[in-house]
Amino acid sequence: MNRAASTETVDTLVIGGGIAGLQTALDLADLGLQVAIVEKEPSIGGKMIGLSKVFPTLDCASCITTPKMAATAHHENIRILTLAEVESVTRHDEDFSVRVTLQPRYVDEDLCIGCRLCEYACDADVADEFEGGLSAHRAIYIPFTNAIPQLAILDPMECNLCGQCAVACPTDAVVFDQKPREIEITARSVVVATGFETTPMGAKEEYRGNEIVNVISPLTMERLLAPHGPYGRVLRPADGKVPDSVAFVQCAGSRDRSLGVPYCSRVCCMYAIKQAMLLSGALPFADITIYYMDIRAFGKGYETFFQNASAMGIEFVKGKVARIDEAGDRNVEVRFEHIDELGQVEERTHDLVVLSLGMLPAADLRDRMPISVSSDGFVTVPKPTIEPCRTNEPGIFVAGTAAGPKDIVDAIAEAGAAAMAVSGYLKKREPAGDAVCAVSAGMEIR
Amino acid sequence: MNSEEVKIGVYICHCGGNISDKVDVEKVAEDAGNLPDVTVSRTYTFMCADPGQELIVEDIEKHGLNRIVVASCSPSLHETTFRSAVVRGGLNQFLYEHVNIREQVSWVHASTGEATAKATTLVRAAIARVRHHEPLSLIRVGATSRALVLGGGVAGLRAALDLAVYGLPVTIVEKSSRLGGQVAEFGTVFPTGESGAELVRTLVRDVSALEEITVLTGARVTGATGYVGNFTVMVEQERGDGSTEDLEIPAGAVIVATGSRPYEPDMGEFGFGQFPEVVTLPDFIQILNETRADGDLTVNGKMIRRAAFIHCVGSRQIEGIQKPKPGRPLNENCSRICCTATLKAESDLIEKFPGVFVYDLYRDIRTYGRNHEEIYERASRDGVSFLCYEPATPPVVTMAAPDDTGNLLITVKDNLTAGMEIEVAVDLVVLAVGMEPADVGPLAESLKLPAGADGFLQEVHPKLRPVEMAVAGVVLAGTCQSPRDIEESCASASAAAVKVAGLLTRGHVDLEPYVARVNADRCEGTGICLSQCEYDGALKIVESVIDGRAIRKAVVNEALCTGCGACVAVCPTRAIDINGWTLDQFEAMVDAMCADPVEVASD
Ligand SMILES: Cc1cc2nc3c(=O)[nH]c(=O)nc-3n(C[C@H](O)[C@H](O)[C@H](O)COP(=O)(O)OP(=O)(O)OC[C@H]3O[C@@H](n4cnc5c(N)ncnc54)[C@H](O)[C@@H]3O)c2cc1C
Ligand SMILES: Cc1cc2nc3c(=O)[nH]c(=O)nc-3n(C[C@H](O)[C@H](O)[C@H](O)COP(=O)(O)OP(=O)(O)OC[C@H]3O[C@@H](n4cnc5c(N)ncnc54)[C@H](O)[C@@H]3O)c2cc1C
Ligand code: SF4
Ligand code: SF4
Ligand code: SF4
Ligand code: SF4
Repeated sequence: MNRAASTETVDTLVIGGGIAGLQTALDLADLGLQVAIVEKEPSIGGKMIGLSKVFPTLDCASCITTPKMAATAHHENIRILTLAEVESVTRHDEDFSVRVTLQPRYVDEDLCIGCRLCEYACDADVADEFEGGLSAHRAIYIPFTNAIPQLAILDPMECNLCGQCAVACPTDAVVFDQKPREIEITARSVVVATGFETTPMGAKEEYRGNEIVNVISPLTMERLLAPHGPYGRVLRPADGKVPDSVAFVQCAGSRDRSLGVPYCSRVCCMYAIKQAMLLSGALPFADITIYYMDIRAFGKGYETFFQNASAMGIEFVKGKVARIDEAGDRNVEVRFEHIDELGQVEERTHDLVVLSLGMLPAADLRDRMPISVSSDGFVTVPKPTIEPCRTNEPGIFVAGTAAGPKDIVDAIAEAGAAAMAVSGYLKKREPAGDAVCAVSAGMEIR
Repeated sequence: MNSEEVKIGVYICHCGGNISDKVDVEKVAEDAGNLPDVTVSRTYTFMCADPGQELIVEDIEKHGLNRIVVASCSPSLHETTFRSAVVRGGLNQFLYEHVNIREQVSWVHASTGEATAKATTLVRAAIARVRHHEPLSLIRVGATSRALVLGGGVAGLRAALDLAVYGLPVTIVEKSSRLGGQVAEFGTVFPTGESGAELVRTLVRDVSALEEITVLTGARVTGATGYVGNFTVMVEQERGDGSTEDLEIPAGAVIVATGSRPYEPDMGEFGFGQFPEVVTLPDFIQILNETRADGDLTVNGKMIRRAAFIHCVGSRQIEGIQKPKPGRPLNENCSRICCTATLKAESDLIEKFPGVFVYDLYRDIRTYGRNHEEIYERASRDGVSFLCYEPATPPVVTMAAPDDTGNLLITVKDNLTAGMEIEVAVDLVVLAVGMEPADVGPLAESLKLPAGADGFLQEVHPKLRPVEMAVAGVVLAGTCQSPRDIEESCASASAAAVKVAGLLTRGHVDLEPYVARVNADRCEGTGICLSQCEYDGALKIVESVIDGRAIRKAVVNEALCTGCGACVAVCPTRAIDINGWTLDQFEAMVDAMCADPVEVASD
């Protein structure tokens, strides 16, 4: 592992380049502060860039996320590090010293022009995780159409070392023997915006999410519904059939003490209703059922959204799903306690079932930085009521779903709040009259 | 620029299929490519994505383009995105024209032929217009380094504190005699169990410690004028002796934090006003807080042994089932805080008076927030009996028979027992009332602040610009925008504050240049335009003496002109025009659309 010789100084280091991290960075940069974003994936954008349309406005998710991604990338005060993971954050007097590992891309970031010639030359196919594994990309590829940065990445596990990409590359950017690098950044403040992961598909054994092919995750459904998704239309994965009957199982992995997740994940009611509405647009004749305990449509305009879905003929069944099995013709049988019918147990068969998975914290950073985490796994906020972004360590703040489930609207508001809290903290640190925005030396903006 | 050869670049976006599934984008690009002065005409999957923007930048450099047209989604989403790409390519940002072929074409037409023809027509018009675009400059005006915060609840206090710590002067205008808003009245608050009064004290103490903050209580806004960076807010403040003092406060930005008030049930709604034992949740919280644990809980002199809480009163209303209150629309939305607040009040009641039996009549339990579900679990553990009702069959509250176990009888169809009709006799009914927006008052009228159908103030876009209003320089904090709890109110307040900090630290603001301009050669100074202008000070007639002759000409104040164009329509000599929207441009666009109509291909 190479050690970076130089140390850079930034006003704020933002960990995570999802919508919350991007908004925090933009608001800080607009105040003249120097910001670095550390994102572990090859592109910024987080979960949101993979969504189809977003409730409650039904804007296309790309159309909302890409401008923020582009604004971040073009901001003169923001530097983005992708494939970068924070190893440790330690306090040195007032500042933090942050060690970051840069994973190899096997492509020289300074040389690659994103032309995709390598991708066209490669013939190793790999399941495309961004598309829920429903389509494939090459072993060297641009992560997705609107990825930022637009740089190729090579998957060494799938590469068959034929060297065709290197031959095709006009700029000699392919580097087969790139090694992880470690760099050190001095940051005057840190924002944790590491976001969430969905509950694993197999978490609730009775739902057999990992075994039955036509039981899918909601992120896969997002890709099926995206206009530029894997099939360009909604087909079920097992046999490519157009589903006539689709069901959503709510609270799959949330509000469930047996899974250690007592809390509500806050977005799954709304995204299920959204997906149901988009489905009834894409498949006008399909029956769509949502099995739920409580519909939590609490945000501005959300209840109307829910009522509209009801009026469109989407069936809401108040019932707790007990188990899910494979039925004939690769269909899926849902067994549920029908609460409206005195808790009677009923079975219904659907062509395709979506588990409305909950939110778990994406990263546990306790061992790597001086913050604590609460029993729900999310970053502890000691005074959430009036200081919603402050952690227990002065100078470290939190934004978005890293501090508990929330939707995009709430994540963006909280991101702005984190930026305000950071700038206030930095102002207080400065002796009066000094500018906060000392331009950091040695920063190279990409 | 006029002498230079016009070279136009045209870009048609697929929007990943959102457009290209309905519009034959290649055909549109081909048509545009054949028009005079069009040097480049292309299509791309996502023009807004980085590679799309880079196409524009590279083409400007490579082909010397000097006018750009992008046909994509609504300009409200991406006009600024592409303007910034144009700037990166080295051009003036106003040499750009945006065409909406998504919201106005692909999403609203069923036929590919028609959609393609319409997109083609719109792009032709845009090309005709862009040809006449001239480089324009933003209008830079100085900004007052002070923010005015209207409303001193937790949201207003949070925003004021943030800005003051950041170093900006702030004036808080609060209409009541004290700061803190509703939170001061709740006893302990969910989910932390902190004292609401203590929270307010903490904020007020910090506010008082900062000399940047001026607090005006007992103060009412009577009007406001100005624009982003330069507002003047007129305030009338009560003095101790009963008289009032008029103040004029200059402010670069305004944070509206006027909050909300509990829904006031209608006479007879669930027995409200009819039976004294029917009270609202905020009233009940106050009664519970004021009763000593070793005393008796009484309402209207009667001991409370059984209580029922009814959710969603004044919220989640459905047309045909609920009646709107006079002068107000139905409140279709969920008030977000009342489920958790109700469950907390139920447990607080049982813990203080363990003998009381509690029923909870709900539609959906919405304990969505961090550590809120635990409050639901606690109420269940405490023995609360839950009944679930359908909106179409809300509970009915009547007087109980004299020999019953309570004074009031609630009849409800309970979903949890297959819609069985259940009767419960209780001594007290608590209505979980939702939130209504507070009256923002004359500021809203003077500055024309938009509100949504629900009466709450309206943000520009819930995701792109969630705390900003359509009126530049006015931002939203807390529950004046929609119901939310303290945490969410404070988060939105800080988010609003950071926007104001960004706006006011620069010391100036840049306004769009789409304002009227007078061609002095043509202006005859008749002043007809003046009679049409609705904006004070935007237009005036200036008299000067040239060569011994008095000459009258119209002169525009660019900061006050809104570019509405009323003056343009009446000028007899075509002496006044709007930058970027000149009459020549309109004529060119109409010609482009009508001269040689696009043929509609059959699908
Ligand atoms: C199926 C589904 C549909 C949804 N639909 C909607 C909708 O329609 N409307 C809506 O409002 N909300 C919706 N949501 C919720 C929405 O996705 C979230 O609110 C939003 O994405 C949260 O953004 P974030 O930035 O907090 O987290 P994320 O999007 O998770 O971003 C976190 C980022 O941090 C990075 N990261 C994590 N750990 C590290 C680390 N250790 N080091 C460096 N980087 C790291 C991640 O790679 C990621 O890029 C939906 C959620 C799901 C699951
Ligand atoms: C019954 C009930 C219980 C609740 N319990 C909790 C709880 O336990 N935990 C929790 O987190 N949240 C709770 N909430 C929500 C909480 O009350 C709000 O989140 C909070 O009050 C919002 O603060 P705000 O500053 O937006 O508005 P407000 O508290 O309404 O303050 C607005 C301020 O603006 C002033 N004002 C209004 N109009 C004008 C005007 N035209 N000019 C000048 N000043 C004006 C008002 O006088 C007031 O001081 C509860 C709400 C209710 C109704
Ligand atoms: S690695 Fe080379 S071939 Fe591949 S995208 Fe980058 S520049 Fe093009
Ligand atoms: S949002 Fe809905 S589906 Fe998700 S955990 Fe909460 S109640 Fe369950
Ligand atoms: S929070 Fe609960 S009580 Fe309040 S309106 Fe929403 S569902 Fe009804
Ligand atoms: S454009 Fe409108 S605001 Fe401006 S001077 Fe003309 S009439 Fe007045």
